Amino acid sequence: MRVVEVILASLVIVFALAFANILAIAPTSPKYEVTELEKMGYNVLYDLDKQGLLAKFVYNKNWSDLQAALRVLLPLEVYFNLTVYYSNGTTVNEVPIFYGSIETFSTSKNVASVAYGLCGYSTMDKAVYDPRTLVLQLARG
Amino acid sequence: MRKLISNKRGQFVIIAVLMIAVMIISIGVLMHRAVTYYRHEPWEEYLALIGNIELNSKCLVELSLANYSLSLAKNGNCTPDTLKINLEKWRVDVSKIYPGRGVSINYELANRSYNVYGVDIKYLFGLNCSWYKPKSFSVANATFALNMTSIGLFGYKFGHVAFLNLTIISVRGSRINVTVKAENKTPISGLRKENFQVSQVSSNTTLQIVSVKSFYDDREMLVYVIECSQSVSVPINVKVCDFRGIQVIAKYP
Repeated sequence: MRVVEVILASLVIVFALAFANILAIAPTSPKYEVTELEKMGYNVLYDLDKQGLLAKFVYNKNWSDLQAALRVLLPLEVYFNLTVYYSNGTTVNEVPIFYGSIETFSTSKNVASVAYGLCGYSTMDKAVYDPRTLVLQLARG
Repeated sequence: MRKLISNKRGQFVIIAVLMIAVMIISIGVLMHRAVTYYRHEPWEEYLALIGNIELNSKCLVELSLANYSLSLAKNGNCTPDTLKINLEKWRVDVSKIYPGRGVSINYELANRSYNVYGVDIKYLFGLNCSWYKPKSFSVANATFALNMTSIGLFGYKFGHVAFLNLTIISVRGSRINVTVKAENKTPISGLRKENFQVSQVSSNTTLQIVSVKSFYDDREMLVYVIECSQSVSVPINVKVCDFRGIQVIAKYP
């Protein structure tokens, strides 16, 4: 009889733990994964833009520095693939700006895509409205 | 212990202990959930998006003023509605950059007299360049209203005044003391000799700048000393171009 009671009590504990585990939603939950990555992507691009670095890298076609900046700002396990477009839709960057495995973006279930716009860039002898669209894809490796 | 287990009351104690254990574990789990609770706020990703549009709209006001002042300094004439043309293009392009977000941006240009930082400015299409005076400035002023139907955002207003002021304080020998201020009368630091140009009005010749140094002043905060290669005879024109590409030409006296 006592053995049955102990077994029943143990089952109650196991069920309680299992139920709590189902309810608890960790930050890396697949449910919010894409939204999390989107938020991360927007924030990273916005931070770079606010510091005046994003426009400088994009309009001077300094892709290696842009890639390095993104690698520093994004967590290590987050892979990215950035493409820069002219306003007519043609690609600006002749070399791919990415980190991680490109295959991850085609195989991963949770890939976030973020679009970010830049209006132009002015220097001491040139100031022209010339918009660029940045499309940043993010996935967890 | 064996006595307690074999006792009928002892069985009750065991069950009670197990029940208490279940309660403690449940409370522990609840506490853990409360600490690691992940609060999903769906508007958070839109904040950076709104910030992006706001930042680039402000950047466009500065860029348009840079374009306007550059043309004016180079050719002596320019398109007065540069800002309006650029903002109209931006209005169309913003909705293309963010498809499906329902983004639309409206703008209003300052088109009458305003008092900005203690100076009366009469705008035309949101722009004004008051040059060839000891206190000269370039200014642009626009107000925006942003709508984003995907999140139910309507009429989010923000404005921007791009401003650059150049004041020639004194000219002594080969030295010219000037101040360069941006919005809110904030001194611009880090300007080098490449940012300045000095020319003599009488002979229309450009003087060579040897060095540009700066010192902190109680009244003006930051004063630049432009050292020319030869003695300067007035009247002179001093041109400055800041890091945003905005230009101003001041004349002394």
